Amino acid sequence: MENIISNLQQFWQFTGFANCNFQYLIMICFGLIFLYLGIKKEWEPMLLVPIGFGILIGNIPLFQGLKVSVYEEGSVLNILYQGVKQGFYPPLIFLGIGAMTDFSALISNPKLLLIGAAAQFGIFGAYAISLAFGFDPAQAGAIGIIGGADGPTAIFLSSRLAPDMMGAIAVSAYSYMALVPVIQPPIMRLLTTRKERLIRMKPPRAVSPTEKKLFPIIGFLLTAFIVPSGIPLLGMLFFGNLIKESGVTKRLANTASGPLIDVVTILIGITVGASTQADQFLQWRSIWIFIIDACSFVIATFTGVLFVKIFNIFLKEGNKINPLIGNAGVSAVPDAARVSNNVGREYDPNNFLMMHAMGPNVAGVIGSAVAAGMLLGFLG
Amino acid sequence: MKSIKLILTVVGLTLAVAAGAQSQGQMRLNEYLVVNTDDFQDDFGQQSAWFELFNASYGTVDIGGCYLSDDPDNLKKYQIPGGDVQTQIKPRQHVLFWADNQPFRGTFHVNFDLENANEIIFTKGDGKSIVDRIKVRHDLPENVSFGRSQDGLGSIDGNGEGWAVLDRTSPSTNNHAVDKAAKPDKMKQIDPYGWILALTAMAVVFTALILLYFIFKAIGNANIKASNKKAAAAAGTGAAAAVKTDFGEVPAETYAAIATAMHLYMADEEAHDDESFVVTMNPVDRTYTPWSTHIQGFCQTPTVIKKK
Repeated sequence: MENIISNLQQFWQFTGFANCNFQYLIMICFGLIFLYLGIKKEWEPMLLVPIGFGILIGNIPLFQGLKVSVYEEGSVLNILYQGVKQGFYPPLIFLGIGAMTDFSALISNPKLLLIGAAAQFGIFGAYAISLAFGFDPAQAGAIGIIGGADGPTAIFLSSRLAPDMMGAIAVSAYSYMALVPVIQPPIMRLLTTRKERLIRMKPPRAVSPTEKKLFPIIGFLLTAFIVPSGIPLLGMLFFGNLIKESGVTKRLANTASGPLIDVVTILIGITVGASTQADQFLQWRSIWIFIIDACSFVIATFTGVLFVKIFNIFLKEGNKINPLIGNAGVSAVPDAARVSNNVGREYDPNNFLMMHAMGPNVAGVIGSAVAAGMLLGFLG
Repeated sequence: MKSIKLILTVVGLTLAVAAGAQSQGQMRLNEYLVVNTDDFQDDFGQQSAWFELFNASYGTVDIGGCYLSDDPDNLKKYQIPGGDVQTQIKPRQHVLFWADNQPFRGTFHVNFDLENANEIIFTKGDGKSIVDRIKVRHDLPENVSFGRSQDGLGSIDGNGEGWAVLDRTSPSTNNHAVDKAAKPDKMKQIDPYGWILALTAMAVVFTALILLYFIFKAIGNANIKASNKKAAAAAGTGAAAAVKTDFGEVPAETYAAIATAMHLYMADEEAHDDESFVVTMNPVDRTYTPWSTHIQGFCQTPTVIKKK
């Protein structure tokens, strides 16, 4: 009998109840909030549901040595986490993004590329703010990249520059991407006049298949020659787009844009979530990361919209750009473009900005990958 | 299928051979010491002449099977044993060989010494391709080494360019003092507020995208011209026909309606066949055609039977 009681006592020590403290409970609450937002509110469910459940997985209180934690070498979760740690999930996601993205809007009106560039000020604004808050340059670069509103890029760069902050950065990036419809509209309304919001843009011209095929090839060669450190992201993005547009590799494009990106999204979501163990995540710096990244989204939206307003001064009547698509320069595809469309239709229900906003939106993906390459080159 | 397999095999083999050859070709003789009386000791407590190889590449190089020699007429004098994990040289790392003429003491003890050598030669595993060679100087004082001023840089033909008498011996480590400040630390000193990096990076981002803009503007213009020309040629009315291709006045609602219809059409898997985003007009499939069907009856072309 004594042995049974002793065994049960020993077993009790193994359980999560015996090892629990309030930090784990706070993180479990975070996970549940993510699941609520993803399932009930349908905010970025593809990301928030895996991350939310990952947070639950990573925050079951346990003692070390069981070889189940994401940070314990040899555990299954640790093996899956290597894709995040070594940075090979993000390029695979970029491959899928490339295979899903239609660059036609951008090719038909290439000046929209510049809006995608302008919105990258968010990255470097956040970098400067992070330095002012006492983060070292590598950490500041990893925090700043969230301003590009691109989850895979943020994970890729933070795995290189500040691996210990990756959980907080990834969660912050995806949280703010889900909050794009909340953060951006007030800034867009604040910076634009009613007259500007009613601007109707020229319909995009038809883009030939040859142009679509040339875009990924020329785009890659040019950007990779300028920023070779961005090759993992840029290479996969443009390669994904080429297999889509070439017309002869439909099976590859279908796999990259379907099963492959789904598998990697599941793995990246669940492991990033699991990496937010309470002892790693609940620190003051995580709160600072969240605050700074809110600023980075504000700056990116601000500079994107403002750039269009300035750009319009130099454009002829009839060629003007509706400044409401300036926010789409952050690369939260296609949420930011959808925000442009929705805000535009509030003022003119027949003004569909979606197709125009997709231009700066996909340019933002290229711009943030180039910016990530720059940060990696200088700080990596 | 056969041709694909063949192409893949040829490409694979070519890459494998090229990668192997290229990596061994990145090894460099980096430093040597001829007279060792008060310097580094080997595992046997002996002070012998030594020389160092450096992996100048950014990948691990296996030097097992390669050759070391002091004799240009006998490049295969000492073969580095294969299958030893220690011959896998990590990127940008060094490996030390003892020139004590005692090869039985281990992988890294060669069968010649430097006092009687005029040259050190490192050769690839084929025993013919010399990767690097350096003349041995016998005028050096005791415990003073001769090496590359910067690891891996300088001549590989033995003329000694880039080599110098070093201030200190540095077996199995960098020949020059390594600047310990990492990139982020340097950046902190140069740019404490982040503005320099911000402006530099934004300039680069803008440059990349502006270049893309110019290229695709030019390609777009050429494309519009070509399509206008085609349209004009097809209509046979010159520029007037080309003007008709401008759809600038079509309201956005029309585009939205067309896009919705296209999306709904294409969402149906059976609505198109192979191409993505291309509407295909499939022929009507009429497999059931009995002799009495209306289809057979209505469109029959009368057949004239000529009497012979």
